[in-house]
Amino acid sequence: MAGVKELAEGVGRAHPEPLNKSPEQVDVEMEKRKERIEQEIHTNKKRSGSLEIENNYTPVTYDDQYILMVNALKKYFPIKGGMVTKTIGWVKAVDGVTFNLRRGTTMGLVGESGCGKTTTGRAILRLGGEKSGGQVLFNGQEIYDLSPKEMRALRTKMQIIFQDPFSSLSPRLPVGEIIGEAVREHNLVPKSEFNDYIDKVMDDCGLQPFHKDRYPHEFSGGQRQRICIARALALNPEFVVCDEPVSALDVSIQAQIINLLKELQQKRSLTYLFISHDLSVVEHISDVVGVMYLGNLVEYGSTADIFRNPLHPYTKALFSAIPIPDPKAKMNRIVLEGSIPSPANPPSGCKFHTRCAQCMERCKVEAPKQIEVEKDHYVVCHLYDK
Amino acid sequence: MAEDVKNVNENKEEQYSLNDDRRVKVLSPGALVIKRFLRNRLAVLGLIMLITMFIFSFVGGMVVPYGQDEQFYTYTYLDKEYVGVTRNNDLRYAVAEGQQFPTILQAQFLLALGKGNDTFTYKDVDYKTVNEGPDFYSISTADGTMLAIAYKDIVNAADGMAEPSFSVKYEGLKAYVNGASSFVADGKEYQLDEDSNILLDGETIGYISRFVVAARENGVVLTRDFKERLEEALDSGVQEFSYTGEDGVEHTYPISYDASAQVWSVKEETKTYVYSSYEKPSLKHPLGTDNNGMDMLVRLMYGGRVSLIIGFIVVIIETVLGVIMGGISGYFGGWIDNLIMRLVDIFYCIPSMPIIIILGAAMDNMQVDPQIRMLYLMLILGFLGWAGIARMVRGQILSLREQEFMTAAEACGISVSRRIFKHLIPNVIPQLIVSCTMGLGSVILTEATLSFLGLGVKFPFASWGNIISDVNNSFVMTTYWFIWIPAGVCLLITVLGFNFVGDGLRDAFDPKMKR
Repeated sequence: MAGVKELAEGVGRAHPEPLNKSPEQVDVEMEKRKERIEQEIHTNKKRSGSLEIENNYTPVTYDDQYILMVNALKKYFPIKGGMVTKTIGWVKAVDGVTFNLRRGTTMGLVGESGCGKTTTGRAILRLGGEKSGGQVLFNGQEIYDLSPKEMRALRTKMQIIFQDPFSSLSPRLPVGEIIGEAVREHNLVPKSEFNDYIDKVMDDCGLQPFHKDRYPHEFSGGQRQRICIARALALNPEFVVCDEPVSALDVSIQAQIINLLKELQQKRSLTYLFISHDLSVVEHISDVVGVMYLGNLVEYGSTADIFRNPLHPYTKALFSAIPIPDPKAKMNRIVLEGSIPSPANPPSGCKFHTRCAQCMERCKVEAPKQIEVEKDHYVVCHLYDK
Repeated sequence: MAEDVKNVNENKEEQYSLNDDRRVKVLSPGALVIKRFLRNRLAVLGLIMLITMFIFSFVGGMVVPYGQDEQFYTYTYLDKEYVGVTRNNDLRYAVAEGQQFPTILQAQFLLALGKGNDTFTYKDVDYKTVNEGPDFYSISTADGTMLAIAYKDIVNAADGMAEPSFSVKYEGLKAYVNGASSFVADGKEYQLDEDSNILLDGETIGYISRFVVAARENGVVLTRDFKERLEEALDSGVQEFSYTGEDGVEHTYPISYDASAQVWSVKEETKTYVYSSYEKPSLKHPLGTDNNGMDMLVRLMYGGRVSLIIGFIVVIIETVLGVIMGGISGYFGGWIDNLIMRLVDIFYCIPSMPIIIILGAAMDNMQVDPQIRMLYLMLILGFLGWAGIARMVRGQILSLREQEFMTAAEACGISVSRRIFKHLIPNVIPQLIVSCTMGLGSVILTEATLSFLGLGVKFPFASWGNIISDVNNSFVMTTYWFIWIPAGVCLLITVLGFNFVGDGLRDAFDPKMKR
């Protein structure tokens, strides 16, 4: 009888181990999640009187060593609801990001999924509507103050390379047209030189001129990413946001693309904002690294400093997850508990306090400020607030 | 210099020919679609069906020698009643000049005659009758004043002559019954020849005959000669009568005698034309003719033309409206989207068939010209059908708008109009083509239904629907299969062809979607 019972229990759990969680636990977590969401909605409703976005920051002055100055940038998305559709809350995707980017350098932006990296990248380029607060100075010019016409002209100076090379190329246009369309639109080169110019750009990006008449579907992922890069570089930009440009590619191609990007940076003295969740790639390409958590930049400093000496508890946890290609190496992995809180209802005080091992009472009430621990190594944590 | 360029090109060629990519044929998405489409057997079959129908309708209509409303007829000879001849059995009366012989006296006379009396009295006046010969009486008053004569042998005026006077009639008849060859009346001498002709100074002014010869149709003048010959023929009792008229052509008239009415009817063969309606298929009319004697094959061709043109124009109207409305709705979103989509919902709720039927009946009532009617029909069908396309286009644009290549286009600073026309619209076109192709079939069916109900394309214009509607009873349906089966088959082939091609196009455009 007992044996039968065991068997029956075994049947009930088809994959007992790999999940590391029993179905009961999953259920409990689901319950908690539901409760949390309900609570969020509830609190959002209660707060509906105070939907004003706080926007108090000290404006920065332009320093010409920086191509890009981002100051307390906020990008909120409205939560619509109610009988009459109205905003009942905000998803705080980017909630006060501040950093400066030197000319000709690469800044890596890392963080887990949903922390607002991509939104930051797009907000900097003024893609997808208006900002919710803060400043974005590109060569000292607040880009959100530009008229649509001026903005279109400025777009040649700042470009973006997307994560997914499959959806970012219009399937009905030949490659030559994809790359050259914007060049023609902005009259960057005379008509007579147009073809040669496109050939040259394609050559720079490792594409053959005869690829021009082909369509995106005829290319592999790596080649498509090269097309995306060529499209961005054809406009001869100064600054390129690389939004996880290699995460959709396999490792060997990743290396090619990364090296291509580095090579092009040297050739054209480009500035990159390199968004990635792959820390080893970031370490390889970046001069400066920013770590984001739930819409905030929690740590920011040179690559060497950060990788050698991560300060913020979240950065430490993140870096402990980098796999070491040595099976015998002992990993002191810091495992964060729970999952990332909802950006619609972030925790009070330090947003990381719900998952922080070194959480203090102060963290729960007071939001920490950016502190320069070493030279050009900033951290947002009460631990270093001496 | 030119050679240098050539050299460089050749070098390039060599350089690239080593590349494996070089060997792959470059295909645009359009070419790929065509390739995939042609690989689909059913779709190619559909295409062949459609091409056949197009050639049949458009080229066929130009090639055939007949028009769509040309009526065919044949001449036939019909025996038509020409002349009726009766033998006079009634007494006729001729009244002397200045006298009266009213009907009441005629009746009294007949009574007396029946009793065998030769006198009769009416209103205290005595009348005297004299039997002057067989069936020939004269009536006078007691004092001997001639009142009238009653006779059965009729004194007719010759062609173009005035009616003979009373005395001529009286004296003539007297001479006739007595067998005299001349008589005197009104102081003139008349001859009476063997053929009972009355001659005055050698000119025939009349004749005496027992037969009444009358043409059956108005306006036909029978000559004296004809009548005489006819009488002769009747006397001799022949079944046929030949007569050579003034034109020198000999006509033969069959004679039949109706004993009950005592009428000889003389028939004439007349040439008349008859519409060759419901003629069986023949070399001249491969699919026969319809009710109105029109060639079915030609009508089928012209009908196809009308059906296809209506289909295309309606679909074009639908598509233009649908793309504009759906495009605006999808690209701008917000309250515009809401408004247009509610409009689409309303159009979806409109029961189109009753509306079209009502409008068709209204047009019947207003007696709209058939050609303008066709135009109205297209407009009505087009305006009622755009909602589906608008909804589809909106959905497509909504999803495309969020694609990264649209963000990329924005990031490259490409203008809004270029973004719409170079990036959005080309991506919607595949779905549009598919839905248009599918829509064509259903529009053609709707048109056929309406024409069948008599509310679509009207006679004399042909359409497959109104060709079939000729078959309005089971007799025509079972007897004249060639009227409705070919039109039905054409309809079937066309709609099936459009559906096959539509299916094929959908599969060709979207290779990921497997059935």
